[in-house]
Amino acid sequence: MSQKVYVTGLGIVSGLGIGTTETVQALRTAKSGVGQLKYLQTNHSDIPCAEVPLSDEEIRKMLEFSDNEVITRTSLLGILAAREAFHAAGLKDNLPEMLRLGFLNGTTVGGMERSEQYYKDFINPQSDAYTPYIAAHDCGACSEKIADYIGCFDYVSTTATACSSAVNTLILAYNMIKAGFLDVAIAGGTECLTKFHLNGFNTLMILDKNPCRPFDETRAGLNLGEGAAYLVLESEKVVQQREVKPIAAVAGWGNACDAYHQTASSPDGKGATMAMQQALEMSALEPADIDYISAHGTGTDNNDESEGTAVMNLFGAHIPPISSTKGFTGHTTSAAGSVEMVISLLAMQYRFLPPNLNFTQQMHQLSFNPVERFTENVTIRHLLNNSFGFGGNNSSIICSNVNY
Amino acid sequence: MSIYIRAIGNISIQDTLGKSSLEQAIAYAEPHVRCIEPDFKSYLNPMMMRRMSRIIKRAVVSSMVCLQEGGIEQPEAIISGTGLGCIEDTEKFLSAIIDNNEKFLQPTYFIQSTHNTISSQIAIFLKCHSYNNTYTHRGISFETALMDAFVLFKTCRIHTALVGGHDEMTPLYFVQLQKLHFWKEQVHNSLTICTGSDSQTAGALAGEGSICFLMSDEENDRNYAEIKDMQLFYNIKGSEALLQQIEQFLNRNNLNSSDIDVFLCGNSGDCLTDPLYHEIHRKQFAHSTYASYKNLCGEFFTAPAFGLWSAASILKNGKIPDIQRLNNVQTTKIRHLLLFNHYKNKNYSLILLSSCGY
Repeated sequence: MSQKVYVTGLGIVSGLGIGTTETVQALRTAKSGVGQLKYLQTNHSDIPCAEVPLSDEEIRKMLEFSDNEVITRTSLLGILAAREAFHAAGLKDNLPEMLRLGFLNGTTVGGMERSEQYYKDFINPQSDAYTPYIAAHDCGACSEKIADYIGCFDYVSTTATACSSAVNTLILAYNMIKAGFLDVAIAGGTECLTKFHLNGFNTLMILDKNPCRPFDETRAGLNLGEGAAYLVLESEKVVQQREVKPIAAVAGWGNACDAYHQTASSPDGKGATMAMQQALEMSALEPADIDYISAHGTGTDNNDESEGTAVMNLFGAHIPPISSTKGFTGHTTSAAGSVEMVISLLAMQYRFLPPNLNFTQQMHQLSFNPVERFTENVTIRHLLNNSFGFGGNNSSIICSNVNY
Repeated sequence: MSIYIRAIGNISIQDTLGKSSLEQAIAYAEPHVRCIEPDFKSYLNPMMMRRMSRIIKRAVVSSMVCLQEGGIEQPEAIISGTGLGCIEDTEKFLSAIIDNNEKFLQPTYFIQSTHNTISSQIAIFLKCHSYNNTYTHRGISFETALMDAFVLFKTCRIHTALVGGHDEMTPLYFVQLQKLHFWKEQVHNSLTICTGSDSQTAGALAGEGSICFLMSDEENDRNYAEIKDMQLFYNIKGSEALLQQIEQFLNRNNLNSSDIDVFLCGNSGDCLTDPLYHEIHRKQFAHSTYASYKNLCGEFFTAPAFGLWSAASILKNGKIPDIQRLNNVQTTKIRHLLLFNHYKNKNYSLILLSSCGY
């Protein structure tokens, strides 16, 4: 039970590109993935978003799927990222028998991107068109498509807590390994852009028509993004058995419900404070031990004030370097937690701080400014990653550097 | 550490809310049956009700009834499983997008559409800041939620948890799943769906439910049953491998198949998916009482939550309702019950329960 849980592989796709190398390159050169929509067909094409720079057809080709394969973009993005993590952890050639392997996925829209195109046929009892895609609509179907592509899982599950889905999935993976229910887990989230989400967030009037500016006094909302990211987590015993070098250790987590409003965060940041505090306590760390906070930082008026207040509640006068990378990737909703965790772990691994793009003016409610520039030669001993979702589903994870 | 079922709230197509056993089973002769709903007005004030969709009202009320029975106001975790989430509001928002060509949309349906609305509305209702999570994975949506609670108990993070399975079947989703051959064209008698003439045809009867459990690690005379262990499997190749997994699961609990008094399975009367249950029963549990529960609740993604209610009821009352029996094996004392469900022979769940008196 007291075994540590390690991270041994990372995989990511987002508006920044395909894979960890392209992601680091974009962060280094301050090249944002937010821009004009190219693939999603919508009347709101004036709203900037961060699309993964590949069409479905291009991804299908990369993954050698035929044109007839019933698969949605959420799964296609997921496969690209999960495959990278699987290979990076060396699981393809180094997977001892008898290990229990899980694929733990987080997603909320699932196959909606097809359902919204085919819906009239779906609900028409007389129509046979697109019927196979009905079975691809639900979130579980999307997870299984990814699991089946990789093809060696004993356990598959799907978490859906809106924008904190991926972090809650990482927490589940950690707990299942701790409790001995899994030996290795590929965990994270995936979500593609949909008219459903774009229109939904638009009705809430929280989409910025310009590139988003998290933690900035002039912020005016978020940009939606899409992407997928997965971490390979494994028990200490399996790390030793496979003789692999871990990237980081998961130190602790927190999960608390704001229980305030379905789509708004409490002004005092209660749920957020609790989630971060629990993660610190479980990790047996002091606030001063945290060298970087990867904020949820959506760029909405409400989130950034609530989260910023929570950070001040907990860290007082000594706030560690903090940034939101949503100016790069957009808000990748269900994937955000793992997209940002992978970016943070790349920062820990390659010793940099990811900047908070588009920041110019300090928020009047907050005592701190986010990281403004890509900063190199930085040692991150412990990092804290926040993800907050609709419904007040607030979660935080702390990962620790294995070299210190 | 032992994990118990302390209290239950069950809204289903039977008269189950606030009841620890079924007094009179209701038979249906149609392929799509909606829940018997309580008078929500006696639980919720009109202001609250106006803002709540059907599935939220059901989930909040089944949670309330459960927590009242358990005498607990603030569980240390709220975890829901739901195959389709708040599908009614999802459909409304989706239809509005399509019908109005992405114009003139109201946020309400979008706000209420996400799967985690259920857990979060329960939390808002209880003003409960505890651990909060939601799972959605086809036929094992409830069991993955239960697994989350189970590992939280096992890693000593919590002492109580409210775990629920919630699904509604709207007419529009019924039509979609009908095209995928989920449902029977005709049902003559739901109660005998696993044994009578209905069991000769493919598909199931569409049901619904909102079923909550208060789990606790505290011994209490009023506990229903102990959840000894659980396990989920994915994509097992062949029934022999499945039999082996079940045996290993029992062995790790120092039991073998002969110790299982009741084998309670997810038979739905579907002639394509029930044979797997029959085979496992025949090869491994022929000596056990073989029983079903979906002839009472119908098929839905979180129907195994009704199965857990039935298992808890059987263990608490020490007897198996005749309407659920699939064989004639009689047991004088029920100690161990194995709840087994599979979804399309791809997802499998095992939950091992023991009577508290044992």
